[in-house]
Amino acid sequence: MHPQLQKLVALQDIEQMIAEAQEQGEALSGMGFDLGGLEALKEKAAQLAGEIENRHLGYYRRLTGRFGHAVVPVVGNLCTGCFANIPASFVSATNENKLQKCENCGRILYWP
Amino acid sequence: MDIVEVLQHTSPELFLPDPEADDKPGVLAELVAKLVAGSKTMSRPDAVLQMLESREALGSTAVGPGVAFPHGRTLAVQKLTVLCARSRKGVDFDAVDGQPTHLFFVLIAPPQDSGHKYIKSLAVLTDKLQDADLRDRLMAADDYAAFCAVLKGE
Repeated sequence: MHPQLQKLVALQDIEQMIAEAQEQGEALSGMGFDLGGLEALKEKAAQLAGEIENRHLGYYRRLTGRFGHAVVPVVGNLCTGCFANIPASFVSATNENKLQKCENCGRILYWP
Repeated sequence: MDIVEVLQHTSPELFLPDPEADDKPGVLAELVAKLVAGSKTMSRPDAVLQMLESREALGSTAVGPGVAFPHGRTLAVQKLTVLCARSRKGVDFDAVDGQPTHLFFVLIAPPQDSGHKYIKSLAVLTDKLQDADLRDRLMAADDYAAFCAVLKGE
């Protein structure tokens, strides 16, 4: 996997975790979960973001602002963001180390 | 949602009867390896492990007496997946009460799931595992079928 995509996936996972801890904090605390590491996790996210090239991070931020999720999985040759068909040529070996974007919606594509 | 619905997201392939590790990093790695091997739709163990490690940084998920609920959402899965594990010797999982953790319920969900199934499943399990007698019976269960039967109260 493209190393920058790997970092973008990790960043999106962490940022979603932070958002969920804030939105569902009461429910999670009610189940007994301690969310005291929230600030440390925010620092970790910031550190990870610092390891991503500005052009990729800027693009990720724009997509996140527009769609909520910038990186989406491809399932059954479909972009799960807009359900457009993803050409088979996208998964060829020559494209393995590229950051792929959906031609229809522009979201960053991830093959789980 | 009830325990029967939660158990629809697991399978015999997602049951780890006795992990070898006795520390947190080791057991997390074993749990993820089992998840990837047993789920059929998960192929990025590094992404799942990274997410679970981040979740532990937020606060230990070992909140019940002897029970941990490692959980979170990641792009690396396509549907809610639940793995059950049981360590007879116990694992140092940074539990809130400082005691070893014996039972693990790992819940991994995709970034979006309809009706927040993942949070509801977590609530069902954390509530269920408050029962000391049930925990004892889970520790004594012979296999996956017996483990599930105990959870269902059969």
